[in-house]
Amino acid sequence: MKFWGLLILLPSLLWAQPEFFGYFESEADIMQLGSERYNFGYNKFRLDVEARPSDHVQIGANINIQHYWGQTTWNIYDFIPSFGETAQAYNVDLPDTLLLDNVYMKLSFSLFDFTVGRQQVSPGVGYAWNPTDIFNTKSLMDPSYEQTGVEAFRLDIPLGNRSSIIAVVLPEAEMDQSTQQYTLKTGLGSFDLAATTTYQANYDWSSPLLGRYDLVERNIFGGSVIGELVGWGVWVEGAYNILQLEMPLWSSYRPPDPEETFTEYIVGTDHTFDNSIYFLAEYLHNGFGAAEKEDLSLTDYFSALGGASHSLMQDYLFMYAMHPTFDFVSLSTLVFANLNDNSGTFAPQMDWNAFEDTNISLQGSLFWGEDDTEFGIQDWGLRLRFRSDF
Amino acid sequence: MIPRLTFLLMFSISCIFGQTPTATEIVDRVTTIMSPENSYSKGTQTIITSSGKERVFEFDSWAAEKGKSSLTRYTKPAAIRGQAFLMLNNADDIWSYFPRTKRVRKLASHAKKQKMQGSDFTYEDMGGGDVFQTKFKSTLIAEETRDGEQVWKVEMIGIPDQDPPYPKIVLWARQSDYYPVALDYYNEIDFNTKSLVMSDIQMIEKYPTAMTMVMTDNKERSSTTMRTLEITYSWQPPKSFFSERNLKK
Repeated sequence: MKFWGLLILLPSLLWAQPEFFGYFESEADIMQLGSERYNFGYNKFRLDVEARPSDHVQIGANINIQHYWGQTTWNIYDFIPSFGETAQAYNVDLPDTLLLDNVYMKLSFSLFDFTVGRQQVSPGVGYAWNPTDIFNTKSLMDPSYEQTGVEAFRLDIPLGNRSSIIAVVLPEAEMDQSTQQYTLKTGLGSFDLAATTTYQANYDWSSPLLGRYDLVERNIFGGSVIGELVGWGVWVEGAYNILQLEMPLWSSYRPPDPEETFTEYIVGTDHTFDNSIYFLAEYLHNGFGAAEKEDLSLTDYFSALGGASHSLMQDYLFMYAMHPTFDFVSLSTLVFANLNDNSGTFAPQMDWNAFEDTNISLQGSLFWGEDDTEFGIQDWGLRLRFRSDF
Repeated sequence: MIPRLTFLLMFSISCIFGQTPTATEIVDRVTTIMSPENSYSKGTQTIITSSGKERVFEFDSWAAEKGKSSLTRYTKPAAIRGQAFLMLNNADDIWSYFPRTKRVRKLASHAKKQKMQGSDFTYEDMGGGDVFQTKFKSTLIAEETRDGEQVWKVEMIGIPDQDPPYPKIVLWARQSDYYPVALDYYNEIDFNTKSLVMSDIQMIEKYPTAMTMVMTDNKERSSTTMRTLEITYSWQPPKSFFSERNLKK
């Protein structure tokens, strides 16, 4: 986190009669992994501050304090099938954090909005996956959970009511090391369309969770369409990726190639039935993933676990159904499956709005598949989450 | 403009001669009186479940083009603060904004059938415009007295190929000014699923306005009360107000 923005924005925030809000969230989890059972969880406090010194200026910031308990050190190899003699131990600690998550200022001019600072950037129309999103990593167990902010300059230029140009730049010391994304959005009938081009460089090459290559730069040409067909919501989001590579960091199963291209896309649909059941389904194809279980390498796992790739293998299905069953209680189920190794997860959930601004949710998860598959390596899990907003 | 003048002329003539207006004329007048050009309001939405549990929401709402365009932004409770919905073309096009993820998403029209924050109102119920005129065939079935007021009772049957929000609605409108005081909503098996009652009707800037609306779910025995805390019809929408840009503000 760069603190230059903090020095400017926090005093302005306190000067401009800010509003304070946020939440406390506590989660307790049990996970059965082979013969081992783990208890873990966290307590999280988020405080948001927002001020509008004038109609044209909005300043916002939030601080997250998160304390983990129970199992706080995880061996990544526990989640990866054995690859001969390679798998030993690669431990990741979850340290308690005090994080200035977002701190930004949005200036609204007559012809454009300009946002500077650490801010959430969430491109794409997909629910479980977003091929055009290089800024965030979603959890399939909770895809709509808030994302961490990124240090960015953002320019929004509206062109009429339904069209706009969006430019996002993640500044680095040199411009050619700065990630840039440019999006043109427009509407056509009952459809929203977007075309996106992204230039990404400057990965942290020292991280072993990088992926399989030293990445010099990545160009992405993508887009999305969302609308309605015969009463069902439909959306498509895709991205054509061109990776310019240097020497492979890992001794991989593939020969080094200075350029690799792949296509990633999702197709989704949703519908609310007359009986109030809401249903959503999404299919992902990720050309960067392995097509066969036998093709997987350790670095594929690192790439997927670290968020460098949106998935481990190529083809996935995500489904979600929800029904507001009782007073302030909704029952839902999500199912996601790796269609290449035939493993998956079935996760029923109950959400109870116990008091105003207080929610309690209980989620179970049952994993299926062979022990050497992506999801089958786990057995079952249970998650209890309390959250109170203020 | 000419068709509207023709309608007003014919309606005036029918009144002069004391004729009972037709169902179509009543529904036209109801639509006109319920569709001021623009409005801005602050309101509360109180949900009371069958077991007596209560939740209160507060929101700001803007509408233009006789309800064809609208924007609603929730201000309370804290859990949904900042959530906003933009509806264009009489709620045929809906966009939602969730501040938690900073994401704007276009919703398909089936989302109109979803309950607003778990209330007994659907997004479709809140949509304005000419739905009664274009998606229903109306019949005047009675003249009654309701809460001391002379009212017209009109049955509106949904036109199947127009995708009506309900198969049937029965509407009661005051004879004095054609303002609706109650609506009953029916499902496919002609069961009265929901009832809406308007009360505390005040004259606000020349428009009669129900300051309280109570929607009762006759099956689940729950109810939702919408109270208007403040309202003006003199609000003029700034250019590009009903846009994704403003939805995120």
